[in-house]
Amino acid sequence: MMSKRHSNHALRALMACVAAMVALAILPSAAFALTTSKATARPNEDGGTGVIGGIPTRLTWEGTVDAGEQISGVTLELPAGTNFNSSTTKLTALEGLKRMSVEGEVVPEGSSLKVKFSEPVGEGLLIRLEVEGMTFPEEGGDVVVGGTYTESGKEKPLQAAKPIATIANTPLQKLVDHLDNQDWVAAWNSVQFLGMFLKPQIMVTSFASLFTGWLVCLFIVIVAYPFAIILGLIFALMKISKHRLLRAIAIVYINVLRGTPLFLQIYIMFFGLPMMNIVIDNNILGIIVMAINSSAYLAEIFRAGIESIPTGQYEAAASLGMGHLQTMIYVILPQTVRRVIPTVTSDFIMAFKDTSLLSSVGVMELMMFAKNLTSVTGNMTPYVTAAIFYLIVTLPLIKVVTIIEKRMANSERGGGPRPKVKAAAEKDAQDETSSAGAEPSLAEALSAPFKAGTSVFGGVADVR
Amino acid sequence: MSTVSRRSFVKGGSLFAGVSALGLVACGGSGSSTAESATDASTESTADSSAESTAESTATTAESAEPMLVNEGKLTCISNMYFPPFEFMDEKTGEPMGFDIDLSKAIAEHMGLEANWTKESNMGFDTLVPTIKSIDYSSGKAKGKADIAIAGMTITDKRKQEVDMSDPYLDSNQSLITRVDSTETLESLDARGKQIAVQDGTTGEEWARENLPVADASKGIVKLDDVINAMNGLNSKSYDAVITDLPVAMYQIEIEKNYPDLQIAEPIPTGEQYGIAVSKDNPALTAAINEALAAVIADGTMKKLQVKWFGSEV
Repeated sequence: MMSKRHSNHALRALMACVAAMVALAILPSAAFALTTSKATARPNEDGGTGVIGGIPTRLTWEGTVDAGEQISGVTLELPAGTNFNSSTTKLTALEGLKRMSVEGEVVPEGSSLKVKFSEPVGEGLLIRLEVEGMTFPEEGGDVVVGGTYTESGKEKPLQAAKPIATIANTPLQKLVDHLDNQDWVAAWNSVQFLGMFLKPQIMVTSFASLFTGWLVCLFIVIVAYPFAIILGLIFALMKISKHRLLRAIAIVYINVLRGTPLFLQIYIMFFGLPMMNIVIDNNILGIIVMAINSSAYLAEIFRAGIESIPTGQYEAAASLGMGHLQTMIYVILPQTVRRVIPTVTSDFIMAFKDTSLLSSVGVMELMMFAKNLTSVTGNMTPYVTAAIFYLIVTLPLIKVVTIIEKRMANSERGGGPRPKVKAAAEKDAQDETSSAGAEPSLAEALSAPFKAGTSVFGGVADVR
Repeated sequence: MSTVSRRSFVKGGSLFAGVSALGLVACGGSGSSTAESATDASTESTADSSAESTAESTATTAESAEPMLVNEGKLTCISNMYFPPFEFMDEKTGEPMGFDIDLSKAIAEHMGLEANWTKESNMGFDTLVPTIKSIDYSSGKAKGKADIAIAGMTITDKRKQEVDMSDPYLDSNQSLITRVDSTETLESLDARGKQIAVQDGTTGEEWARENLPVADASKGIVKLDDVINAMNGLNSKSYDAVITDLPVAMYQIEIEKNYPDLQIAEPIPTGEQYGIAVSKDNPALTAAINEALAAVIADGTMKKLQVKWFGSEV
């Protein structure tokens, strides 16, 4: 390991030498005394990554004083439209990593910023200027930070840094700025609770930026769920199988997954697999974890569903000469599907909410976006927005579950619309013929719980 | 068997209820007489002023304006306990420990108070500033979770807009951590498809977003709850690099040697400084803390703590 580290250093040193020689060859002999390391700007797009012009941000400029030089002042010049007027500047000088005290006078002048040090800054020091509250030109574009510096009374041009990419204002940001200037917004925010949990400006930006996270959540759970259903069915059948080994495997699988927190399973998968050199994309790994976790719960739901079918159904199937597999596929499972729909929907709601746990391992889902925004803004509003996004999905589903359960309970009690006596008799006769002949289609079987008056047996208790 | 376990469970439950009720009582009574406690504290500290040279300053602070405290006689602190050596929990007892914990105790001592660290002091780093900001002093008494947040927190203008920051107590820088077999540099990391892990809401995150815009635009800056997660993830090859405060990287990699496969690839000079977050509505507390901090630096305690936790003076 040590040798590797050394060779690394050697390589880096060699590269630095080569770079220095190339630089010497290219640069004119009057080398710059102040080497510009870089100029950067803090992204100020709420919930985004862009540097927007016309909105306050922070410009950070760094330069290293070359050997034998003393710098007494620096003037940064930016393109017209830049505004330093309401900015404050923090001066820092560093010798290596050691912070040195440096004092100076900073004079903002429109698009330029004059810094005069009270004591000249000596060789080898890194000068850092952090200009908070400055704005870039509104039209956006690449901004080159140039200017001059004062070395022993003479002004010399600054070496231009790598340009900063800025963008023009976005409609969303304009809306936020508009809200910033409204009186009602100020009044609203002055109430501590409203300002902390329901700040309109942050509501607007968080709705826009949380949307992608919401889609990721939906994507993960919608892709994961079919796999979970298939896996769950397999393990449910294994658990009621006559083979002892299959049963044992299913029991271990279901109990381990249901008996440990999803959070733990996520950690094991996300940090464990890469250690075995299995590198999978975060989103796909998220889908895998969610599918495996849900499959255990679904297996129990399906098992309970299958076992709730009366024995008479098996006997009836047997009397018709059906084999075990045939009975399962044509008689038992179709009835099971109908019975487990409410419970499976509840489980789907759970799984959707549980995707939030994936934020802890860096999957860019809803909760993650909300957390980021909260840490940037120091405000709880993004969490409220996230709650709204979760509710958009879960509330209608909860309603669906309630409706189905009501219908089922109703039909169990013998409720629902009653046919007239004569019609009923005819229908009975029809039913007798039809049940012997055509079996109900899959669509009919699935939609049965949604239709009033269909005869369905009781639902399955929520096993979760 | 089952009845026994059920009974013990019930017992445990009632015990818990009792404890939490006690806690509630304690909380309810806490804000009642802050003024008294502060006066008590000041008389106490003047009493043994022969031993402590700085007690005078505490007394003067108490005279001018009394800091309002959440728990009387105590300086209640919050932090994020996954940031060794600044704050972390003892592996066996779960007790908070670290540089910041020791410093808070020293500061509290100079203020004639007791530093109050409990298991509830541990919070998400991103929630520290909002929590301090939300303390309610409107009734003349402090209502909230804690008085101060001390969490290796860099003094930034953004944070100063939300809360007051104390005088700086430590200089810090950022650092780039990579695996020892990696050749990644700050230049090579600013590209699509690179994954750089940072702690959510830190200056490390801010630095990464500002200086690695290409990676950021392609969702390459991964924000995690704490830096330990970030380092574990880097160790298990989930990420390409970690950017975090240099002292933390030094402690984990070079002092404790917890990660033999990781290295500090480059220190990043930023010259940032740590401060203690106090509510803007409690300026007396900020003043008292600044005075105590100056005293802790003057009497050499700060140097001792630096040697204790960083192996040398910073």
